[in-house]
Amino acid sequence: MKGMTSMEITRRGGAAMALATLMAAAPRARAATPGLMVRSDGQPQNLDPHQVFDVPMMGYALNTYDGLLRYQGSPPTLEPWLAVDHTASEDGLDWAFRLRPGVAFHDGSPLTASDVVYSFRRVLALGKAPASAFLPILKPENVTAPDPLTVRFRLDRPYGPFRAAIPIVAIVNERMVRANERGNDWGAAWLAANEAGSGAYAFVPGSLTPNERLDLQRHEGHFLGWADNPSPVARIAMRTARETSTGVLGLMNGSIDFTDSYLPTDQVEQIQSSRIARVERHSSLRTFVIRMNNARAPFDNVNFRKAMAHAFNYDGFIREILKGYADRNPGPMPNPLWGAPKDAAGYAYDLGKARDFLRAAQAEGVNLRQPIRIHIQSQLEQTNQAAQLFQSDLQSLGVNLRIVSDTWANIVTATGSAETAPDMWIHWVSTYFVDPENWVGQMYDSRFHGTWKASSYYRNAEVDALLARARGLVRQEDRAPLYEEATRRVMADCADIWVYNTVELRGVSNRLANYRFCPVGSGAEMRWLRLKG
Amino acid sequence: MPGFILRRALLVLPSLFGLLVVCFLLIRLIPADPAVALAGDNATPAQIEAIRRSYGLDQPLPVQFGRYLMDVARLDFGTSQFSGRAVAEDLAQRLPATLELTVAALLLGVGLGIPLGVLAAVHHNRWPDFLLRVVSVAGIAVAAFWLAIMLQMLFAMRLGWLPLRGQISAGVTPPAGPTGFLTLDCLLAGRLDLLADALRHLVLPAVTLSLGGLATITRFTRAGVLDTLQKDFVTYERAVGYPRGRLIWLYVLRNSVVATVTQIGLLFGGLMAGAVVVESIYDWPGIGSYTVQAILTADSKVMLAVTLLIGLIYAVVNILTDLVHALIDPRLRETR
Repeated sequence: MKGMTSMEITRRGGAAMALATLMAAAPRARAATPGLMVRSDGQPQNLDPHQVFDVPMMGYALNTYDGLLRYQGSPPTLEPWLAVDHTASEDGLDWAFRLRPGVAFHDGSPLTASDVVYSFRRVLALGKAPASAFLPILKPENVTAPDPLTVRFRLDRPYGPFRAAIPIVAIVNERMVRANERGNDWGAAWLAANEAGSGAYAFVPGSLTPNERLDLQRHEGHFLGWADNPSPVARIAMRTARETSTGVLGLMNGSIDFTDSYLPTDQVEQIQSSRIARVERHSSLRTFVIRMNNARAPFDNVNFRKAMAHAFNYDGFIREILKGYADRNPGPMPNPLWGAPKDAAGYAYDLGKARDFLRAAQAEGVNLRQPIRIHIQSQLEQTNQAAQLFQSDLQSLGVNLRIVSDTWANIVTATGSAETAPDMWIHWVSTYFVDPENWVGQMYDSRFHGTWKASSYYRNAEVDALLARARGLVRQEDRAPLYEEATRRVMADCADIWVYNTVELRGVSNRLANYRFCPVGSGAEMRWLRLKG
Repeated sequence: MPGFILRRALLVLPSLFGLLVVCFLLIRLIPADPAVALAGDNATPAQIEAIRRSYGLDQPLPVQFGRYLMDVARLDFGTSQFSGRAVAEDLAQRLPATLELTVAALLLGVGLGIPLGVLAAVHHNRWPDFLLRVVSVAGIAVAAFWLAIMLQMLFAMRLGWLPLRGQISAGVTPPAGPTGFLTLDCLLAGRLDLLADALRHLVLPAVTLSLGGLATITRFTRAGVLDTLQKDFVTYERAVGYPRGRLIWLYVLRNSVVATVTQIGLLFGGLMAGAVVVESIYDWPGIGSYTVQAILTADSKVMLAVTLLIGLIYAVVNILTDLVHALIDPRLRETR
């Protein structure tokens, strides 16, 4: 560069060197922050556990809030948490929970029955996702606190899943939320970006960029204490990794300690062979299902539905595409759950049988040349893989299956009525509460038509009656046979194609020990983790 | 000149209004019902209907649009249906990150693209020119997500020189500065250690985002310089023995960059759009990743606000481009 003098070159070169030196000297976060772990498994859309209720929210709220009861272990069992015990009346209408004394919120104020009453009333008033389990059977005025350590519920009618749904409601600090209420919003705007809990970890104010970053700090005064954990994680940095590849690379270079639990199966071997991370594999309660719109031709014909069920290559999908990281689940209920009939074999991949059922359907007037559409979730590659595998087998049977790439929001909107619901679509049913009601109850009782969970628009009066009876009983031993019978009938009618129960795969740094998995929350409860070194 | 600026600024208003109308209608054409998405996984139809009413989504389209326009006129972009926060607050938090990334990419593109374009033109049809042509075609053709992963593999994984993702290290608390621009706030807070950390995080996303623009600027500069080198004044100056370096960098370049400057203006908008992909891969907390999330969750208030914002930035950059044109070429000033 002839136009540049040697002084200019020296000046510019010097500046570049200074910048390089500055950048090389940048601090390494891990070394600077003892006790830190980095999670990349996403954040809830907002921080209010009474507004949002999904897997990312569970991953946040299980750490920052406590409930009356909590699911622990796998298969999950309900354990006393804020409530030390509870009783139910014989008719299942009256429930009383006795609270643990001496529990404190993160601001140091005591947690009392009044906070519990406020929390349940708030859930009912906001009417968002967590409310759906309670709105049909509980009025706000029927949640009461006769003394500071007792909470009573009076249900409108007996509701078997009530106890199972109790952990859904996070107990919030009434005093803090009330202080931030605007009009009739129950503090919704404030709690969307703040926290008012008593959980093992507390939100670090100012650390939130929604859906990007969020920090949690260990709450030393948590009611469980920390005596069982000599080296707990002191600070949790939640940093959303949008691309799976970025999350996995982060795990491999040590900048991420904890990925989401849906690792692609082709990444498992790579992580396992590394020295710094491992894959935690656990059977979950998360079923993969291909829905069929039973209210629309040709799926209103049971022989056609059975042909479809015999045309899906279950073993090929699980063995080749999922590399064996899934358990065949032949019915709507997850295999390990009570209420799942152990004698129900389900449908097997058999193109010969599929042809026979297609002939039977054709004899009953079904037009086999009619193209059918299956909607996949464009962001979830596995739904596409399943659809392509299915398309290939159906083509050999002369059935024209068209794959439609779509988003969750679009599909769920379409499932609002039988007329607009897709012919077929693919999704998972996660564990929102551990009760058959979460699966067979809400998927196949016609009273739930209009919700995405009941989007096959299956209708069978006998099944409706069985499910209604099961819902009205309290004792598990009374309810189980009813759910088993309802499930058998739904399977006999082949309402949908049930494929597998998920094996959750989560990448975890070897710095972290004592990982505990529970299907509720997908093992994202951090208080048990021990930090090595 | 002030009259020119005023005229251009006034023209922006109907453009933005048109943009808003088109976007509003397009968003309403999407079958996704934000109330359904908002209600959550286990919502009943009654819950969904109640949410639809509470957000005014049950009103006729003209009423919804009228209300929205009145809100926008008060600079109220509404509340994100998902973050539960004011959209303006979310944008104010995220826009500086996107601008920081975009400006860094633009500086890289311009800072390297113009000299490389000159170099290619000066060495026309010789190996530096051939090499730069191949590289610039590749730069335009290569997909940003592929390049990003390759850069991550090399510089973050194999060499370990640069961070893999994010805007700053996880264990670091960024300064709550007055500007919202992380690098600037680190500087203002006197935290050179954090500034260095932020710069290290900026390198890979900025390089990824800049490559397409760098290639475009190189090609436009090369073409412009080649054209100018054929002009009589260059032949004359060469004949009288004017120093070659000064001739090219001071006079030939100035006469060649009008088309390049236009490209830079257009490029800024392109870079903002490209940031959507780059931010997602590098987990950069800007408006790109925010927009992707809004689209997936049918968060219409966010989609509208982001569109309006990018439209406004694009319009401002175009006015600035025209001003720079006028500064470079006095003849343009006279015709205005």
